[in-house]
Amino acid sequence: MSALAALRNLALALTLGACAGSAFANSYEAHLPPELSTSPRMCDYVACADVMPGADSFSERKGQPPYVEAYRSTDGGKQLLGYVMLSTDITDIPAYSGKPVVTLIGMDTTGHFTGVKVLKHSEPILLLGIPEEALVEFNNQYLGKFVGDNIEIGRSRPEHDIIGLDAITGATVTVIAQNQVMMLSGGEVAKQVGILKPTIRPQATFIDSGARPGWQQLVEDGSVQRLTVTAEEVGLPHRGQPYIDLWFGYLNQPTVGRAVLGDGPYNSLMSRLQPGDHAIFIVRSAGIESFKGSGFVRGGIYDRVQVRQERDAFTFRDTDYFNLYGIAAAGAPAFSESAIFIVRSGAFSAAYPWKLVFLANKMDKATGAKTFANFDSEYWLPGAYMEGGRPEIVKPDPVWLKIWKERLVTIIAFTAFLVAIAVVYSRRDTLVRRSTRKNKWPVNAFKYVGWVISIGFVGFGLLAQPSITQVLTWFHALLFQWQWELFLSDPFIFIFWWFIIITVFLWGRGLFCGWACPFGSLSELLYKLGGWVGLKRYQFKLPKPLHDKLKWVKYGVFFGLLAVSMFSMGLAEKLAEVEPFKTTFLVGLFNRSWPYTLFASALLGLSIFTERPFCKYLCPLGAGLAMPSTFRWFGLKRKQECDSCKACAVGCGSQAIDKDGRIDQRECLLCMDCMVYYYEDHACPPLSQERKRRTKAGLPLTPIGADGYYIPIKPVATAK
Amino acid sequence: MVDPKMPTEPMDPPYAGKTGLVGRLGAELWDHLWPWSRTGFQRQRAIQAAGLALGLAASVVWVLAAMGRLDAGAIIGWWFGWSVFEVVVRLGAKPYVKEGPWWGAAYRSATLMDMICYVSFKNLLIGAVLFLSLKSLGLVSV
Repeated sequence: MSALAALRNLALALTLGACAGSAFANSYEAHLPPELSTSPRMCDYVACADVMPGADSFSERKGQPPYVEAYRSTDGGKQLLGYVMLSTDITDIPAYSGKPVVTLIGMDTTGHFTGVKVLKHSEPILLLGIPEEALVEFNNQYLGKFVGDNIEIGRSRPEHDIIGLDAITGATVTVIAQNQVMMLSGGEVAKQVGILKPTIRPQATFIDSGARPGWQQLVEDGSVQRLTVTAEEVGLPHRGQPYIDLWFGYLNQPTVGRAVLGDGPYNSLMSRLQPGDHAIFIVRSAGIESFKGSGFVRGGIYDRVQVRQERDAFTFRDTDYFNLYGIAAAGAPAFSESAIFIVRSGAFSAAYPWKLVFLANKMDKATGAKTFANFDSEYWLPGAYMEGGRPEIVKPDPVWLKIWKERLVTIIAFTAFLVAIAVVYSRRDTLVRRSTRKNKWPVNAFKYVGWVISIGFVGFGLLAQPSITQVLTWFHALLFQWQWELFLSDPFIFIFWWFIIITVFLWGRGLFCGWACPFGSLSELLYKLGGWVGLKRYQFKLPKPLHDKLKWVKYGVFFGLLAVSMFSMGLAEKLAEVEPFKTTFLVGLFNRSWPYTLFASALLGLSIFTERPFCKYLCPLGAGLAMPSTFRWFGLKRKQECDSCKACAVGCGSQAIDKDGRIDQRECLLCMDCMVYYYEDHACPPLSQERKRRTKAGLPLTPIGADGYYIPIKPVATAK
Repeated sequence: MVDPKMPTEPMDPPYAGKTGLVGRLGAELWDHLWPWSRTGFQRQRAIQAAGLALGLAASVVWVLAAMGRLDAGAIIGWWFGWSVFEVVVRLGAKPYVKEGPWWGAAYRSATLMDMICYVSFKNLLIGAVLFLSLKSLGLVSV
């Protein structure tokens, strides 16, 4: 009953914890007025002065991507203090949740950040696990820093001119995404207002082959590219045709330009260009949306298309637009909208890759809210059209690859640890044969070392504690938007899950839960330590009938979380606090509010007296892994005599052996105790009996075979 | 006598004696996709369970629809409801699961939990393939 009471208290603590947590979640899935992202008077809907101290008036949105100017009233009028931007006006880089962190950013006229305010986020870890203040503190690191600096997460490297920012422990992916948002947003506005100078790239020298390729050939050699956006990609129902289907290409190159426009129009166009101008064409061959925009006004900016080259963005005004009346290339598709746009910047070079970007509003079907989204397609003029061909370029590594490279040694060590566990377990027959009932060290030495490494290195060091929240995230990512980059950003969790998937199908969940799970290892190690320090007399197991009922609770928790996640991921994340992992490893027992600390401490305290109470009765991850364990390929060995013998069942810490001697593979944590008995002729009753019989009869004790019995003595007929 | 080497009693499916790789794989594929059997149809409890399961599925679909997620949510809800229904149908019609390596031919009788595990895992894989296929074809929007 005391155990039941303890569980009841834990449930109460959990409930209190969930309530307490909600009090801290200020901007988690906060409701923002729709006008914030659409109204020209952005600062009427958000306190822009929070990120621009001293400002008392703000302009309307201007520029592309948009920003507002912040002013301070002076005696003589108004003084420009800086610029305020809404991150989602500029980029839709998702954080760990798959949704962007909506951030208001202030930057002064010299390009130094003056304020950062998170308006809305959907990060599960910041909902309960880590206080939002941590993100505020992280953002405060930008204050005073120059937008043109090389700012990265991690340590500063002055030799490479890199300024490092302290990450938030346990929320690395979130802060990496946030850093990209900050630097990209600040950079875009800084370039527009002249704080940052655009990159000057060497120009291409074109080869005029004199040929007139047809449309198909232009498409095949890459001189004409396509950008298609489906209705589903912008949150609209399927309509049988794309949202927009664009073809585009670079016109200055004579062979391409003459093929697309024809000789006369090409010559005319080139005569109207200034040195350093670049012409591109766009036609819409299908779609329900316009790339020019129905709201375009004279003198305005075309806000639906732009050209990007690395970090430089080029937008178009009405003076950058020429009519395109037709395409000369044979086989060109019919089109319903067309344009020639002029990139008027020496920063642009046709020798290097660039992207046509289509900017759209994406409808969130759940809330009806519109969010910014962009879609792009890369263009790189074929080398055959340029003297010297395409220049060599080194593309920067994606963020996830940078992380893998930076942590390569640790990743190798972690992988080696997991491989070692798998190899040791695959050699279990050898190890258990060397063990005896009284000396299990040949097995336990490996297992205990595994536990210590798992707790210290994996859990507290790498914070690589697999969790049900990851399962929920993947389940939703599978349904809505799968991004490998997101999952690769946390290499240890990524590798750990491959280990889990493979070993669950090979041997069941026991190898992960029993040998490698940081919390499970800590829990059982505490139990062992309790026994070693003299608390053995107080250690207990629940009665088997009660255990057999309570073990189903974890499946209820698992299915409950899965069901809740379908309706509210946020609520599921809150309820996933039933896992004490965040408190124990990610945040720390003493860095959280008392209900969490109490809950985790109670579970760990209870673990001293009964083996793995959380793993047996509450762990939703264990339940989720137990289900496919039903179909593991290789189980533990049993003998027919196990149906009446209780020798190993009595000692089974997982209480996974039933009255008929059968092992419940969903509950077994592969401690190997029963396998030690299996081969030990002083412990396993059938073997022991046979040993005594042979000894009494003076028969030799043959080796014990893989079936757990002495190899039979076969009389050999004597030669006559 | 209980066989402790098997989690439950050994049990052979109707196609147990089938020889030849193609024939056996075909029979197994059919077994995964078709939960009914002649004997199963004769049991009324499946019909009763169908009503319960379909009611549950409809509830989930309506809740999801009310939240503006009809397209994908409806599919998930119905697939979940069908999975509940399939568990009950299989327990009456094909009450066995495979034991050990998937390329082996050892079968055993299924407990309720065994069947839940089998159906949920199988239908997760089938559902994922179908869902992603429909999504890539643009027939389902999320």
